[in-house]
Amino acid sequence: MNDNHANPTQEVCSVQVGDTLYGVPIAHVLEILGKPATQPVPLAPYFVGGLVHYRGEVLTAVSLRRLLGMEPAKTPEDVLVFENPDGLFGLFVDSVGEVLHVSAADHEPNPATLESRRQALFDGAWKLKDRLLVSLEPERLDPMRLASAFPA
Amino acid sequence: MDDLTREFLLESQEGLDRMERCLTDLETRPGDTELLADIFRSVHTIKGTTGFLGFSRLEALSHAGENLLGLLREGKLEANPEIVSGLLSLMDILRGVLHSIETIGAEGENRQQDGAIIARLEKLQLGDASIAVAEPELAAVAAPTRTGRPRKPRALRRRGYIQSAPPPAESGEAGPPREFEEAPRNTEPQPVPVVPAPASLPARPENESPASPAPETQAATTSGTADSTLRVDVELLNRMMNLVGELVLTRNQILQATSTDASFSLLGRRLDMVTADLRESVMKARMQPVSHVFSRFPRLVRDLALGLDKRVRLEMEGQETELDKSLLEAIRDPLTHSIRNAIDHGIEMPAARIAAGKSAEGLVRLRACHEGSHVIVEVHDDGAGMSIEKIRAKAVERQLVPPQRAELMNEREILQLIFLPGFSTAETVTSVSGRGVGMDVVRTNVEKIGGKVEVDSRAGKGTVLRLRIPLTLAIIPALIVRSRGQNFAVPQASLTELVHLSTGETDSRIERLENAALYRLRGHLLPLVFLDRLLQQSPRQRSAPCDIAILNADGRRLGLVVDGLADPEEIVVKPLAAVLREIGFYAGATILGNGGMALILNPGAIAQHANVIPTTEAVDDSVDTNRAGQHDFLLVETGRRRAALPLETVVRIERIPRSRIERAGSRPVLRFDGKLLPLDDAASELLDAGDDPEAQTTVVVCRDGNRQVGMTVSQVLDVAGGRQLEEAGTGAIADGITLLHERVTAIASLSAIPALECAADGSPMEFSLPAEEQR
Repeated sequence: MNDNHANPTQEVCSVQVGDTLYGVPIAHVLEILGKPATQPVPLAPYFVGGLVHYRGEVLTAVSLRRLLGMEPAKTPEDVLVFENPDGLFGLFVDSVGEVLHVSAADHEPNPATLESRRQALFDGAWKLKDRLLVSLEPERLDPMRLASAFPA
Repeated sequence: MDDLTREFLLESQEGLDRMERCLTDLETRPGDTELLADIFRSVHTIKGTTGFLGFSRLEALSHAGENLLGLLREGKLEANPEIVSGLLSLMDILRGVLHSIETIGAEGENRQQDGAIIARLEKLQLGDASIAVAEPELAAVAAPTRTGRPRKPRALRRRGYIQSAPPPAESGEAGPPREFEEAPRNTEPQPVPVVPAPASLPARPENESPASPAPETQAATTSGTADSTLRVDVELLNRMMNLVGELVLTRNQILQATSTDASFSLLGRRLDMVTADLRESVMKARMQPVSHVFSRFPRLVRDLALGLDKRVRLEMEGQETELDKSLLEAIRDPLTHSIRNAIDHGIEMPAARIAAGKSAEGLVRLRACHEGSHVIVEVHDDGAGMSIEKIRAKAVERQLVPPQRAELMNEREILQLIFLPGFSTAETVTSVSGRGVGMDVVRTNVEKIGGKVEVDSRAGKGTVLRLRIPLTLAIIPALIVRSRGQNFAVPQASLTELVHLSTGETDSRIERLENAALYRLRGHLLPLVFLDRLLQQSPRQRSAPCDIAILNADGRRLGLVVDGLADPEEIVVKPLAAVLREIGFYAGATILGNGGMALILNPGAIAQHANVIPTTEAVDDSVDTNRAGQHDFLLVETGRRRAALPLETVVRIERIPRSRIERAGSRPVLRFDGKLLPLDDAASELLDAGDDPEAQTTVVVCRDGNRQVGMTVSQVLDVAGGRQLEEAGTGAIADGITLLHERVTAIASLSAIPALECAADGSPMEFSLPAEEQR
C-alpha cells in the first residue's frame, strides 16, 4: 500500500517513539486516543502494553516500546486505534505528531543491516528532508500475529 | 437472493421445524387430526410457494409428501412408524434442498435420491392397503377393539419396528383396497385446505372416536401470534444489548458522580429506573423458550432408539422456560451429547431392563426450570446408571488419574472424572458414542457460557445430568477486589463469603503446610491462592492486612487472598483479545462505574491451576432442594446461647481486640470505617468483664433498615437454612425463632439495639479520626 505507484503521494500519521519517527498510513488509523487511562494485564505477552477503553469496547493495546525492547515510557502514552479482521486493537506510542505527505518515490526498503526483529516489523522508510520516517504497517502489529511471530 | 426467496426460505424452515415436531408426536397420537392438518399445511405451503417461485424439484418432492399426508388426514391411512420414517426422510431431503438454495441459490440436483423417496412415499400410500388385502382378517379384528390396543401389521412386526409403535388413540378401519387406489386422485384437486382439520373430515363420521389428548398449544397458537410478532435480526439484538450495556456503564458513572444540585440526583434516579427497564426489555427480546432446542429431541431420541434397538420414551417438562438466544444456541450441542449418552450408555436393552425389574421402555426426561438467575436443564434417564468402581478403574486404565489418588477419591469426585477429556466407559465404539469425546465437550461448552454441569448417578437407577445456565451472558453481578493497586472483578456466582484479616492476623491466621497456605474456616482447612503471586505482580508484605474471598468454582473451594475489597457492581462483560484469553485466568474485562477498567477473574481456571480438587463439602452450598419457606441465617454463639442472624442483613464479620469497644454515653460502640457503630448489650458485659483487653472478639456488622449495628458474638458457627416454626393449634408462624440444624434458635433482634443520638439530618455521626488510627 505504501508504494502505490498510481498515487505517488500518501498521507501518513507521524508518531514518535524514543528518538525515532514512525509513519502509519492514515487510512489505517481509526482514531487517536490522547493519553487514555490504561489497565495493565498481568501475565500478558510482553508486547501487550495494557487495555484501553474505546467506545464501550476494551481494546488490547500493543506497546511499541516493549516490542522493540526499549525502556518503558516515563510519561503517559498516546494510543492509535486500528482495525484487524477480528476486531480492534491499539498501539501505544510516546506521542502522535502531524500528518505528513510522503511520496512513494522517497520510499526505500529496510536496509539489510537492520536487526532481524525490526526487519520483520518495519516496512522500509521514507526519506524526509532532514530525517527518516520509518514505515509501520498496522497489519504487522496485530497482537495475534505478534504472538505467533515473536513468542516470548 | 431476492426478498421473496429469503422469506420463503425462512418460512419453509419454520414449517419443516414444526413438521418435525408434529411428526414425532404423531407416532404417539397417530389419529390426531389437528396434528395431521398442521403437517399437511406445512407441506402444502411449501409446495404452493415453490410452484410460484419455480423450484420444480421442491415442488415434486413436496407433492409426493402431500399426497401421502392427504390420505392420512382423511383417515384413509393410519400413521405408522414406516410412514413417519418416510416423511422424516422426505423432510431431510427438503431441508437439504433449502440449504442449497440458501448457499448456492439453486436447488441442485439428485434425481436418484428424489426418485427413491418419491417411490417410497408412493409405495407407502399403497402400503397399508396391500397389507389389508393380504390380511383382511386383521382389519376385521382391529375394528371392534376400540380400547386402544395397537393394531400391528405383520410386516412391521417382522421388521422389529413394532417395539416403538405407540398405541393409536383411535382404531381407524382399513377400508376396501379399491378405495385406497383412488385416494391419490381424490386428494389432488382439493381446494387449499386452510380450514382447520376437523372440518375437512366430515366424510367419515364413524371415525370420530375421541381424538386423543388435546393437541399441544403450539399448533393452536401458531396462526394467532403471527400478526403481533415480527422477525428481528439477531445481530441487531446483539447490538442493542451492547448499547444497553454502555448505558448501564454511563448510568453507573452518573450515579457515582456527586452533585449538589437536587434535580440532578432526581434525574439520575430516573435514568437509573429507565435503564433498568430498558435492559430488561432488551433482554426479554432476546429470550426464547427452550422448546426451540427441545423440539429437535423427539426426533433424535426416536432415531437413536431405533438404531440401537432400544425402547425409549422422552418426557419434556418446562419447555416454556426462557433463555437468552445465544445461550440457547450454546446449549444445543451439550444437550444433544447428553441425550445421546443417556440413550447409548444409560438406557439398557429392553431384555436387560425387564431382567432388572424395570419396564421394557426406558425413560429420558428433559426438564427446564428457573432457579434464581439461572436456568437449570436436567437430562434424566432411568437406565443403568454409572458404576463408581467402573469409572475409577477406567480412569486409572486411561491414565487420567494416578491409581493412588483414585483410591482416595470419594463418589462425587469419581463422578466428576467423566468430564475429563478422553474419558469413556463404552466397551466398544458405536456410531453414537464411545470415542471418548462427549462429556468433556459438554462441560467445556457449558462452562464457556458461564454455566456449570453437575452429575449424579446411582447404579441400576439412572443418571441425572444437570446444566446450570446463567440467564444472560452480558451483565453479571461481581465483587471488585484489589491486588497491588489494580482492580479485578470476581463473579458473585462463585463467591461464597469474605474474610478480613487485619495487620496482626495475617501471619497468625494463615497457616502453612510446607508451601501450601491454608486458612481454617470453621474448623475446615481451606487452600489459599494469593492473587499477587498467581499473577506474578510485585509481592506484597506478608503481614499486611488482606481479604480472603472464598470461592466455590464447580465444587472446588479455595480462598483467594487479595489486598482489599471495593464495591459489588453489576458489570458488563467485554470479551478479551485472543492473546489475553490464552492466559486463562481472565474471563473478560469490564469498565467500572468510576470509568476504570478491571479484568474479570475466572475462578474455575484459578482453582484448576492451583490443583484444587472438588470437595464433598461443597455439596451443602451448591445443591439446594426443597428450599421453600427457608431463610439463610448466620448461626452465632453469644456467651452460651446460640442465636441466628438473617444472612441478608449481615454486612461483614470483623475480628477486633476487645479494647476497640468503647462507650458513648451508656452505650457500647465501635468505630468502624471511620463511622460509629452501636453495639448490642453483650458488648457492655464484655467491657465490664474487663479482663485481657487484647483478647479478640468477633463483631458481626448488620444492616437494620438504613442503619448499621454490630452484634458481638463469641463465635461464628455456620451459615444454614432455617425453617419456619408454626405454633401448635393456631398454625401461626412463630415470630423471632427458627429451626436451625434441628434446634430451635432465637433470631437476634437488631432493632433492640438503641439508636445513637444523631445529627439533625439523620445520618450517623461522623468522627474524624487521627490518620494513624484509621485502618
